[in-house]
Amino acid sequence: MTKQTILSIATFCLTLSVGAQELISKIPSTANVVVTVKGRNITQLMSVEEFSDSKIGQMMIKGISRETKDKITTIDGLGLDLNKDFHYFLEVKENIFNSVFLVPLKNKEGFLSMLSEQEKGRIVNEGSVSYFQDEYDGMTTIWNNNTLVVVMAVDQSKDDLYFDDYGYNDSYIQELTPPAPPAPLDQIEEAAEAIEESSEVVVEDAVEETIVESTEDTVVDYYDSAEYKKQQEEREKRRQEWQEKKDQNRKELAVKTVKRAKEIISGNNVAGSILKNTSYIKSIGRGNEEASLWVGDFMKIYEETMANTMSMLGGSNPYDFMNLDKIYDGISVTGKLDFADDKATFKMAYGMNEEMAKLYKPMYNGKFNKNFLNYLNEDELLGYWNLNTSTEGILDAYPKLLDLMFKPDAENTVSNGVSLVSNLVSILLDEEAAASIVRGDMLLALTDLREKEVTYTDYEYDENYNYKEIEKTKTETIPDFIFMFTSEQEQLFRKLMRIGVNEGEVAYENDIYEIVNMGSSNPFEIFALYKDDTVFIGSSKQHLAGIKNGTYVSKLSKKLKNNLKRNAMSMYVNGKKIVSEIPLEAYPSSLKGEIGFLTQNTEDIQINFSRVKGNSLSGEMTWATPEEGHKNSFAYFVNMIDALMN
Amino acid sequence: MNLKKFFHYFILVCSITLCTSCFDILEEINLNADGSGSVLVTFNMSKSKTKLASIMLLDSVNGYKVPTEDDINEVFKDAVRHLEKSEGISNIKQTKDFKNYIFTIACDFKNIESINGIFKELILEQNKKGKTNFSTTNFGYNMSSKTFQRYFTYDDSMKKSFYHLNNEDRKIFKDASFTSIYRFDNSVDSVSNTNSKIAPNKKAVMLRLDAMALILGEKTIKNTIELSK
Repeated sequence: MTKQTILSIATFCLTLSVGAQELISKIPSTANVVVTVKGRNITQLMSVEEFSDSKIGQMMIKGISRETKDKITTIDGLGLDLNKDFHYFLEVKENIFNSVFLVPLKNKEGFLSMLSEQEKGRIVNEGSVSYFQDEYDGMTTIWNNNTLVVVMAVDQSKDDLYFDDYGYNDSYIQELTPPAPPAPLDQIEEAAEAIEESSEVVVEDAVEETIVESTEDTVVDYYDSAEYKKQQEEREKRRQEWQEKKDQNRKELAVKTVKRAKEIISGNNVAGSILKNTSYIKSIGRGNEEASLWVGDFMKIYEETMANTMSMLGGSNPYDFMNLDKIYDGISVTGKLDFADDKATFKMAYGMNEEMAKLYKPMYNGKFNKNFLNYLNEDELLGYWNLNTSTEGILDAYPKLLDLMFKPDAENTVSNGVSLVSNLVSILLDEEAAASIVRGDMLLALTDLREKEVTYTDYEYDENYNYKEIEKTKTETIPDFIFMFTSEQEQLFRKLMRIGVNEGEVAYENDIYEIVNMGSSNPFEIFALYKDDTVFIGSSKQHLAGIKNGTYVSKLSKKLKNNLKRNAMSMYVNGKKIVSEIPLEAYPSSLKGEIGFLTQNTEDIQINFSRVKGNSLSGEMTWATPEEGHKNSFAYFVNMIDALMN
Repeated sequence: MNLKKFFHYFILVCSITLCTSCFDILEEINLNADGSGSVLVTFNMSKSKTKLASIMLLDSVNGYKVPTEDDINEVFKDAVRHLEKSEGISNIKQTKDFKNYIFTIACDFKNIESINGIFKELILEQNKKGKTNFSTTNFGYNMSSKTFQRYFTYDDSMKKSFYHLNNEDRKIFKDASFTSIYRFDNSVDSVSNTNSKIAPNKKAVMLRLDAMALILGEKTIKNTIELSK
């Protein structure tokens, strides 16, 4: 079965499943961004009644009551059909950005009771639909018995963006007569001398007179000159023309917005609905997620926004000599938020064009040093951050990326300059040799929290209150960390350390180096070690000694091992351990009362970004939630907010 | 972000989150029988040095600008300049220990009025600006009755300013303290402040208060010390 057949069947099934009543059918296939919140999925996780009973729900109801002057006192009273999907989409066409919200209604009464009298007075009824439009920005709200559509349109065309209020560009229109020069310096000096000479005998009034007399003939008020007035008239004329044009544009946009709003609510899509967009279907599919985001054509959005804005800069457009289509073309972003029983997951995928994927692949597809796994103990681990990039791949790809970014224009000095520099760097740099120093795979881990004694100065008083300074100690909780990266250059490491030893900055003992002068700003002791093509830098001498002697006992679950090995970037936060081990006094006062709740209800957080597969890079953030005490992960977040609101 | 910067922020986050902060102020006056003497003020923040060293790496914390070492040096220079201009003040000394975060400033004074003169303008300015009512006279010495006075008028603005801070900023004052030590040539007969203690040799008086008690007006540094004639 070909990919196309599978896709067609998937599209068909999806179309059937959403049915004609679902609002998604009103989204045009040409939409650039689509956000969906699946009402049914969310109400299955937590009913409206349950949410209304929560503190955040109560707060929301209070807000609605206040806004509607007690006409609506329940969430249900809003008249929203919370069992259906809510959508937002952005469509970009001929410089116009339409941001559209599609809201399913159970009844329109709730919505109508939220309108002000002024808004109600502007309602236009046309058959089965009614609408009103905001006078200032043309925002159009249109509805029928079961759907509410809000359209906000912005015209990005350059004429509407900018008016030269202060006439900075006047000099381009007409030659300016320079303002009258100030009083000649010699006259001022003469006046000053006159003041000085008469200062002993002349009273203050006479001094003022001297100044006025000596300068009054030469001062010309530029702002009262005929030239300035003429320029002001010109400016005012231009401003009026600009305003008229702007008003005209606004009216035209308002008409277009109403027309578009009517088309959307009637589902009148010439090019078909988004369900016919293969990229959307392929990316979003029939997932059971609670919310999704899809950005389909990045280049189109860029063209309509940046290109228009930047074109106003004319020759000074910094992007003029760049090949932005090479970078943005084919870029799509997909995000899916899913609340399961024991975890909340946000998955994202970043699609790119063939050329970019070819460049990114060697950068993000670095090797992983399996030795890293031998030096972590999950029982004590607070979290880690791991990167598996390839230095060789990055150094190799960057010059190519720069070449690709700039247009190959023989007459463009910047493009030629960039190309020259990138070629030179490429020639001068031995990528392989550089990668032997830092291969590109590295891991930073917080391995434990421990109490460390730190000194401070206090005073000791004798019985007659004479005192002397004494050094006292107190304990502070410091996390232990270890940073490791792959390097084949043992010689280089040892030479560097030897310089440190010779300069008295580094101490050496049993193959472990200690940085002795870390400065008062550093709460850590720092040790370094080289073993098995790996450089270790850490705050615990014991940990490094264990690694050196091969006595360190590692413990890591299969899941964490796989995350570290298989991803380009992986991050792990052991929430439960961190919350339970951070000393009470380190917490913000507002959270101290909730430590018990936080300790019992905080689990792991993991973020992973895969290597480039095909033309896409995917990432996943997983927030584990405890099942005990919470119906599911969505309820967990509502409960958590409730607890923290105490 | 390069690795150096990454480590820099990593260390910063760890130490700011996990380390505590507090400070001590020590006011020390040696008063001669003729009313002249010396004063030393010490600002000791060494208990918070780990946290301070980290904070000093930032531009601002909780919306407040963090002074750089240069800024602090400039403040000291200004203070010394101000003292030099003050009448009856001599032998000005200052120390700055940025490793332990201990700062001192000391000087000799011709008479007790000279010390009052140092802060008079600043207090007047504060009273005008903040509509406060702080006394411009902080110390007094009556040579004939041999009475040393430490004046202090509590102003509600202290409490208001404190409660204006957010909870985290208030924590800084939780373990802070104020200590004053006054030494005399003559013996001390009595003290009015019940929190102050007379040394067994009767030549010194010490008062140690928690900053919180002072800020909230629960305790005072006001004291009348009667010396033997």
